[in-house]
Amino acid sequence: MSGPIGKPTPFIDAVQKVTGQAMYAGDYRMPNMLYVRFLRSTESHAIISKLDTSEAESYPGVCAVVIGKEIPISFGVLPISPDENAIAIDKVRYKGEIVAAVAAETIEAAREGAKIIQVEYEPIRLFLEPEDSLETCAFHEQIHSHTKNGKNIHKTAELRFNEPEKEIKTAAHVRREKFKFAGVTHAFTEPHSTIAVWNGDDTLTVISATQVPHYLHRNLAKVLGLPMHSIQVKKPALGGGFGGKSDPFPHEIITAYMAMKTKRPVKCTFSREEVFITNHGRHPTEIDMSVSCDQNGKITALDTDIIIDGGAYGSFGVVTSYYNGVLLQGPYRINKFGFRTRRVYTNKPQCGAMRGHGAVNPRYAVEVMLDMLAHDMNMDPCDLRINNFLPENTLTVGQLRITSNGVRECLDTVRMKCDWDNRYGKLPSGHGLGVACGFFISGSALPIIWNRYPQTVVHAKLDFDGRIVMFSGASDIGQGSDTVLVQIAAEELGITMGHVQVEVADTKITPVDLGSYSSRVTFMVGNAAKTAATKVREEMAKAIAKEKGVIAENLIFNNCRIYTKDETVDLSWEEGVEIALAGRGAFVESGYYISPKLGGTFKGAGAGLSPAYSFGAFISEVKVNPNTGEVNVIKIWGAHDCGKALNPLSVEGQIEGSIHMGLGQAMSEELRYKNGQQMNANFFDYRIPSSLDTPDMDITIIESNDAEGPYGAKEAGEGPIHPVLPSIGNAIYDAVGIRMMELPITPDKVLSKLRGGE
Amino acid sequence: MDYYHSPSSIKDALSMAGKFSGNYTIFAGGTDIQIYRKQQLDTNEHIIDLSGIDELNSIATKEGILHLGAMTTLDEIISSDEIQLHYPLIAEAAKSVATPVLRKTATIGGNLLVKNRCVFYNQSQAWRNGMGSCLRDVGTICQVTGGKKDCYSRNVSDTAAALIALGAEITLMTPDGITQKPLKDIYLPCGIKFHNLEEHSILTQISVPIKPKKWWYKKLRLRKTLDFTSLTVAATVDINSIARVCLNGVSMSPILVEQTMDTLTQENLTRQARKNCKTVDNDLMPLKYRREMINVFLEEWWDSIEII
Repeated sequence: MSGPIGKPTPFIDAVQKVTGQAMYAGDYRMPNMLYVRFLRSTESHAIISKLDTSEAESYPGVCAVVIGKEIPISFGVLPISPDENAIAIDKVRYKGEIVAAVAAETIEAAREGAKIIQVEYEPIRLFLEPEDSLETCAFHEQIHSHTKNGKNIHKTAELRFNEPEKEIKTAAHVRREKFKFAGVTHAFTEPHSTIAVWNGDDTLTVISATQVPHYLHRNLAKVLGLPMHSIQVKKPALGGGFGGKSDPFPHEIITAYMAMKTKRPVKCTFSREEVFITNHGRHPTEIDMSVSCDQNGKITALDTDIIIDGGAYGSFGVVTSYYNGVLLQGPYRINKFGFRTRRVYTNKPQCGAMRGHGAVNPRYAVEVMLDMLAHDMNMDPCDLRINNFLPENTLTVGQLRITSNGVRECLDTVRMKCDWDNRYGKLPSGHGLGVACGFFISGSALPIIWNRYPQTVVHAKLDFDGRIVMFSGASDIGQGSDTVLVQIAAEELGITMGHVQVEVADTKITPVDLGSYSSRVTFMVGNAAKTAATKVREEMAKAIAKEKGVIAENLIFNNCRIYTKDETVDLSWEEGVEIALAGRGAFVESGYYISPKLGGTFKGAGAGLSPAYSFGAFISEVKVNPNTGEVNVIKIWGAHDCGKALNPLSVEGQIEGSIHMGLGQAMSEELRYKNGQQMNANFFDYRIPSSLDTPDMDITIIESNDAEGPYGAKEAGEGPIHPVLPSIGNAIYDAVGIRMMELPITPDKVLSKLRGGE
Repeated sequence: MDYYHSPSSIKDALSMAGKFSGNYTIFAGGTDIQIYRKQQLDTNEHIIDLSGIDELNSIATKEGILHLGAMTTLDEIISSDEIQLHYPLIAEAAKSVATPVLRKTATIGGNLLVKNRCVFYNQSQAWRNGMGSCLRDVGTICQVTGGKKDCYSRNVSDTAAALIALGAEITLMTPDGITQKPLKDIYLPCGIKFHNLEEHSILTQISVPIKPKKWWYKKLRLRKTLDFTSLTVAATVDINSIARVCLNGVSMSPILVEQTMDTLTQENLTRQARKNCKTVDNDLMPLKYRREMINVFLEEWWDSIEII
């Protein structure tokens, strides 16, 4: 490739962002703008017995006060579980839920207005832990009326193939273990922020910090009762999402409603504490897992029972429930396989999608158990894994289609780089190495909302100025999707990246894209962009060939020139553009992406299907202080198969970020609650690893060149997180001989195990 | 900004304090106080910022005694050759506070007088409304102990532990004049009124007489930077073999065990420390672990002494 594809490329918006020039949602100001603040519930589960807003309505500066009954239509990111209202109606389900909203001339007036709303609650039975929610309760005590059998179970996802439970009873080597994981949250830099404008032509413009303008667009239409063609959703520069900005949120709907109601621009920006209590992070999880091997070290069966604590609302929870199970089908061949995941409602802020969605916690469990089985069988943990890897081009037991697969090369690489064979099991006490692998989807093959549209469309426009504009609904949330669009167009047309600009994430201007989640954007948008840019090239070639009397296919687009090999035609880019646009002017070409039809026909067969899967292997090195239980992660080697690194700089960044985020969940991050109230809803007490806590990283990009990915690319944003956590857990075992079955691995837990406790 | 005042002399600062009596907050760097203001834990109308008083910013040694101006930043202390060479314990303690960026603003005086902390108190007003009663805030029941009388919020000053172990004295200026007293005497074993200071007094200087024969310092926290302490132990042994072991972060005030090495045993030390520390479950690190770590840290110190 002669263009920018495959070369380390700084993001096109990098300078804007680091110099503070980029416009984030919070930076927007409009004339006559109002500010929204909220009254939030101080109860975890209660009937709202009194709600009097009259005093607030007459407070100086207050322009509108809204309560739940005014916006009664429920919504949710998944059309199968729209269980949330913009503002609580009649009852509250978690501490911090929005009970009323106030729009005022100043933030202070809005805040004071919210403060003087009179509210009274009648508390009802609390369900704070999953075991509470599995108990039967009276109908009026249920968190939601739609759950069945008097319990607060939101979803039970279960799949079984080939009776794993029978194999586990008789296999040569079996382990059954229990694991527990605290909830963690995304902790992105930019707080949620939304501006809504009611335009003179009775249309609504919403500028919001969202990963998915399209789902916000749909849910705004549904809840506000507006036709979709009257709503424009724009995503400006965005400061991180990690899954935490992929749902449509109450504050977005309320802000839009306030703009409709007051006919004035309205803005809402969260405090950090509000970001924390809004959550949507990784589910607290309890896993009971059995894994068996035959005497040759072949995995024969895996069976697991998982409970995930969903908090008060559904969010992506149905998908999370499935992902907890189905994403255990790789990277190893497991022919007897089963899982059941129960997602329960509790009276806490809701959980949802977070980097590595649904698969991070069970990945920890299975990788630790493989390590245990390797020790039981006196086998090297790397060898046990190699012995069981899925090959390329195969189907898993649940009919996930594996195409390219570089997992073996990943493991061989980190094993060699860390000198595993000479060091594993041989380091002094307190010092250890641990290995783990993982895999992840490159986009979900099935869209959340079933319809006949493609998953993405990209338009490429060429005009007389020689500029290509790529129109895409894709949301750059810091992962660099805008840059990939530019790279692809420049590559296909043989022009500089400076010739290409983007118009993105604006539902009025850009074609629909399903959003930045499930690691789908490079794969799907990349393919569509490549098609669109290729079509522009073909269209130009056709016109030039006709004028110059050569064969279109013989024209080469490279280095800002368009030429034939024998140079009978040798045009500058601008000359080529003039010929291509003669008599017709600017034109637009379009590319789209639809996943191939994949998967089985059984119920639940759609979960986990993806056109391609990334793979990875990581090794961690730790030192453990036996006196204090403190664990020092000193180095992590990571190898990740992303198919083809379109931008190696960005892939490396994603792997580094995954290591940092995985380290946080493994060692120090957890959302803590007392009586349903978050104890650490700030960046001081929610302990993200600092630069000093972050180990040296040795990163290798493995390129397996996927046949269906753009230029061979697969995902790199989420897959690398999975092996990080269990590699640390396994390294602690190598260092001091204890198995950490509960995350985060804080020093108190380590010390307790070292001293023989549980 | 009619609420913000920046006096250029201690005298002016004291007269402002008198003028705004009961309704002012002193900024000695302000890195912590700003959070109190944001969380509406500090709602005083006036701010008296001491950063414009040049005489409070100094590091000097006179007749073998180190004098630190109260407004000397922690970063200046860490970077001082004099302190690194002769008082490495102070440098070590200062370096363990907050982060490099905060230490460029945070001062030694501010850190010595840092307010006591509790996970149920150091929260936003909305958060506290959701949780309810707190003896130090509003209400009559403590969320930590369920008690109605005593607040056990923790003193978290790392530099206090070090300077008490060094036998530091402080200079206080009030409208009535200058007083000097041992640093340890300004701390009270109370989670609500934790500083024994007269009204309108300004801490101006810290004086450190001892260059110890041996010193030791360790801070317990989950991350290697930023976090407030869950247990700080600073220890010295002077030329007369007097051991001064000061623990902080585990009680309402720093806990000092001062005893000659001739009679001190590890067991005796640990017993005294554990008895004097009123440690309750008011930190994010578990109570049991923090208590265990008192033993572990003191044992580590004891072992280090014997090796020397």
